[in-house]
Amino acid sequence: MIRFLVRRLPVIALVLVAASMIAFLLPRLMPGDPAAAVAGPDATPEQITQVRHDLGLDRPVVEQYVVWIKGLFTGDLGQSLQYRRPVAELVGTRLESTVELAIAALIFMVIIGVGIGLIAGSTRAAWLRSAIDSVNTLLLAMPGFLVGLLMVLLFGIYFRVLPTSGEVPLSENPEIGVQYLILPALALALAPASGIARLVQTSMRAVRQQDFVDLAMAKGVPPRRIATRHVLRNSLGPALVAIGIRFGDLLAGAVVIEAIFARNGLGQLAVSSAQTADYPVVQVLIVGAVLIAVAAQLLTEIGLARLDPRVRLE
Amino acid sequence: MTAEAPLLRVAGLRTEFHTAEGVVRAVDDVSFDIAPGEILGIVGESGSGKSVTARSILGMVHEPGRVVAGQISYRGRDLRTLPPKAMRPIRGREIGLVFQDPQSALNPVMTVRDQISEALTVHGMGRAAARERALELLEQVGIPDARRRADDYPHQFSGGMRQRVVIAIALANNPSLLIADEPTTALDVTIQAQILRLLGRLRHELGVAVLMITHDMGVVAETCDRLVVMYGGRVLERGTVEDVFRAPKSPYTHDLLAAMPRLSSDSAGARRLPSIPGAPPDPAHLPPGCPFEPRCRLAVDACAEKMPSLTVFSVDHAAACHVTAGGASIPVLDSPPAPPRRRAEGDRRPILEVTDLRINVANGRRGLWGRQDPVYAVDGVSLQVHPGETLGLVGESGCGKSTLARAIVGINEPASGAITVRTGGAVQYVFQDPSASLNPRRTIRESIDEGLEAIGVPAAERYDESVRLLERVGLNARHLERLPYAFSGGQRQRVGIARALAAKPELLVLDEPVSALDVSIQAQIINLLESLRDELDLGYLFIAHDLSVVRHLSDRIAVMYLGGIVETGEVATVYGDPRHPYTAALLASSPHPDPAAKHRERIVLTGDLPSPKNPPSGCRFRTRCPIGPIVHSDRTICIEQRPALRPAPNGAHVACHFPGELRNGEA
Amino acid sequence: MSTPPTAKRRNQTLLRYARAFRSPRGIIGAGTLLALVVVALAAPLIGPGGYDQQTSQTLVGASGQHLFGTDELGRDILVRTVYGLRTDLSLILTAVPVSLVIGTLMGLSGAVSKALGALTQRLLDIILGFPGLVLGVIIVMIIGQGWWALFFALVFAGLPGFGRMARAGLLSEQDRDYVLAARVLGVSTGRRIRRHILPNIVDPLLVQTAIFMVVAIFIEAGLSIVGLGIEPPAPSLGAMLNVGARYATTHPSYVLGPGMVLLLLALSFTLLSDALNEAAIKR
Repeated sequence: MIRFLVRRLPVIALVLVAASMIAFLLPRLMPGDPAAAVAGPDATPEQITQVRHDLGLDRPVVEQYVVWIKGLFTGDLGQSLQYRRPVAELVGTRLESTVELAIAALIFMVIIGVGIGLIAGSTRAAWLRSAIDSVNTLLLAMPGFLVGLLMVLLFGIYFRVLPTSGEVPLSENPEIGVQYLILPALALALAPASGIARLVQTSMRAVRQQDFVDLAMAKGVPPRRIATRHVLRNSLGPALVAIGIRFGDLLAGAVVIEAIFARNGLGQLAVSSAQTADYPVVQVLIVGAVLIAVAAQLLTEIGLARLDPRVRLE
Repeated sequence: MTAEAPLLRVAGLRTEFHTAEGVVRAVDDVSFDIAPGEILGIVGESGSGKSVTARSILGMVHEPGRVVAGQISYRGRDLRTLPPKAMRPIRGREIGLVFQDPQSALNPVMTVRDQISEALTVHGMGRAAARERALELLEQVGIPDARRRADDYPHQFSGGMRQRVVIAIALANNPSLLIADEPTTALDVTIQAQILRLLGRLRHELGVAVLMITHDMGVVAETCDRLVVMYGGRVLERGTVEDVFRAPKSPYTHDLLAAMPRLSSDSAGARRLPSIPGAPPDPAHLPPGCPFEPRCRLAVDACAEKMPSLTVFSVDHAAACHVTAGGASIPVLDSPPAPPRRRAEGDRRPILEVTDLRINVANGRRGLWGRQDPVYAVDGVSLQVHPGETLGLVGESGCGKSTLARAIVGINEPASGAITVRTGGAVQYVFQDPSASLNPRRTIRESIDEGLEAIGVPAAERYDESVRLLERVGLNARHLERLPYAFSGGQRQRVGIARALAAKPELLVLDEPVSALDVSIQAQIINLLESLRDELDLGYLFIAHDLSVVRHLSDRIAVMYLGGIVETGEVATVYGDPRHPYTAALLASSPHPDPAAKHRERIVLTGDLPSPKNPPSGCRFRTRCPIGPIVHSDRTICIEQRPALRPAPNGAHVACHFPGELRNGEA
Repeated sequence: MSTPPTAKRRNQTLLRYARAFRSPRGIIGAGTLLALVVVALAAPLIGPGGYDQQTSQTLVGASGQHLFGTDELGRDILVRTVYGLRTDLSLILTAVPVSLVIGTLMGLSGAVSKALGALTQRLLDIILGFPGLVLGVIIVMIIGQGWWALFFALVFAGLPGFGRMARAGLLSEQDRDYVLAARVLGVSTGRRIRRHILPNIVDPLLVQTAIFMVVAIFIEAGLSIVGLGIEPPAPSLGAMLNVGARYATTHPSYVLGPGMVLLLLALSFTLLSDALNEAAIKR
């Protein structure tokens, strides 16, 4: 197990280093002079030079990179150009909103995806299978923001049972907070959930052909137990990998969903920063997003190893 | 024998598969009995319906198959009419099932103990008691160190050990009947001997009856009391093993036995193998009469019209044949004489010379702390092949014979040593599995063209050349534009040989070229290979695990064990007077298709082939050697020193510190 | 003898794909896509005044004159939707094939040398670390908003999927007996890939292409919705949803019109991927 994790380390490190370098180089690749942007439109050339010196932009690039990385590790994430406040503070105030949304969506995605996949993969009723197939196809073609917009229309105008705009942090009022969370999380989760249901269904169908399923039947194991103990457990691998890869997309999708449901999360911060070229914020968010995406992939690989001893004991 | 009421009586069984292309009748009018404690063999080639018969008994035929007629009476209850729920207590508790491939028959994510105890808990035993019983069972089927290994996962076990676990599962509830579907086909000879011995022991200890499904007449002769011969979904013959082997009444059984190469054959080289023409029928397109009629040399008009019914010849011996039913006897199957071998005067230097070869099969991936340790699948092998000569290379899976073969044709890189091919001599390769060695999307002509193109035959001449090659291997121009799926296994292997010949090789590396083929086809291909060798003066490196096939075709033989050659010499010498204990054990483990040999003394090796990742010090065979340090603790030399190949008095070369001590079973 | 074998095989391959479109899913998917492409091509006929023709009637609801109503500048939403569809199609139908080709080449690079294969795999791992939208944000910040930014974002986002699939195909195919047989015969690496490996990985790659078309539509729309898409006044389906969302509760047709077209477009590719997948399994 530990060997297995150690083997993955170089790749993870590589991805993170690459992400940090791309994020670091971003303002230098952008058109325009970052120092001029910081100094503001009315600054004199002397002021710009001064700003450049203050920001360390006149030092060698490698040195600047090292300083920036050091900052990331010590919590000094720099200053937002747009808000003139520390990036750490900006991110901190919005983190909870996005984390809550992402986790709620993840829970929906896993429960709905595996649940539907299990039903479709073990039912013998042809009508149920084709009904699930059709719904899956529709949901696969339905991006989160479209689901979100439809929900805003439906619940905002016709059934006003759940709020469609704004948010209440769970830490303040869990009961109300959950109500605000349900619709955006569902909107975010439905499309990936149907993808996962598909994967579970197809791999269950493949696993059912295996000899060991026949052996279980020959042992006299009842069908329901065969489905869960023998088939499902051997079918979850591909779905798990997909969940890991999609988690990054889920996070990115939160950007859009936050816009639609008027939630004040990191997504909104990312959008406004990207539009105003607030690069210190964007840099931190890029590194953060990649960090989380990679962590999710790693977690699923650990999960895979838990699930399959052949991976674990390799 | 049949005074007792039968445990299982199958009568008039018919199983059909309803597919889009029509109805496939896989099993038709099959009847047989099994008495308590008896071992009954069902023998047949692919498509004979033997496995479907086994599955039909348990109600486990795969979709879209259905048992449509007949009776499956187990202790007087007809299993066919039982509802699925009522079948469950029968499966596992009354009848156990052992599968062919132990690699895939166990759930990879459950420990072996859990899988065994599940068989008990679903039939009502408590969890703790089931776990204890699982341990007992593991010990009973001979898993060494069972207590420690019980909580391991299937992939941590070798193939033979996995098959023992599958048997333990089948035995868990003390069933009265064990259905074993080709239980040793996926295993090596020495492991096969272990498993067969285990099944025999269990029958004696537990009184369990065994229905043994197999394609191997040798296995039947060694283990079964009675047998049923199936072909094209029908029973062609049944009777006691002694009766059927002594005087077969079905021409199919007769010819099949005649076409098998024998370990003890002395006619090798002088005569070709007697062979049955054609291929077993496709179950989807069975002939209207007797399924064997198109291939039968005795067939009369009636055979093509009507399936003969079973005629009883003696108390327990019956066969379905229009010809023998009338009292006619079956004449001996011809074995054509081999034309004298053309030993050309030209260049008699070896075509291939391998010197002290080592091959590292570690994947070479760099770990975090430096390179992985080397794994030598081939470690210090030297051999030669001359023109027109066959060198047989035998050994169990994992001994490195395929790695060696692939290195010779350039697929594997040698780590050290030399592979020298005579200048101008090309080496080609014939694969084991003919269905995998042809690209399913390319026509036969395209596959052969690839070989012609490689040696620079101009495009305009390739057509004629391909036809010539196909004719040479017994096919013709009609086959040229077809895709591989339209061919039988034997025909595909012929195409594979033609493709190899296209490149005008002087040496063919034949990697188990007949082991994936049906028994009745093997003789055809062996004969083809023999005549090609003699006519074209080809050298063969013939790799096989089946010692009788090797014996028939080879001039010299080399026995490999864990990366090294342990014995080599003239075929007659090595087979007649094996000096290395491993060679002796291999010969003793090979099943003889002769019931008289059933009670011969046999050396059954214990344990498995060690991993080349971590080979034993000194002699690599010492961990299983019946004359080595596990028996004689004073023989420390075997632990300390790896024996070199040294000449033995009989002319062979043997790598053993105590050569010739163990032969033919007597220690 | 009369037809050269390659032509014959090409016909067989085409026949196989033709069969894929005979299934209900294939027919509906291909039909919908074809209809959408025709409508997009006919945009100048539907809205002869172009997508930016403004009238004084702002934000009217759906009516006989304006099927989807008009937007905040009095432009016909149907006309803009059709032009938006054009933008979307022009993007995905160029960027996805480019990504397919580059990704496949990257995946197959391992056949040339192991080191090159390992290098491209690391490169793909890095790209995979970036969620599609994040890639989009980075590219927009570097080269500025517009069609090309979206194009490159889509090309990059597709590479890991295509590359991994091609590599998986290469790894499983290159050890098959018939590929080894070709190697023993001395057939060159390039020919082996063309003759034996590529034809056997085309099916999964095609399925992946159809699937990624849907993802590409989502990425375009996602970037547009957060205001990083194509520059106004040019329309794209996502950009229209972006503005329409503000009027969602008062003018549902502003969202529903382009939303449904986007759904149809995604649905057509989903159905196509299903049909192709089924055809590939059946073979």
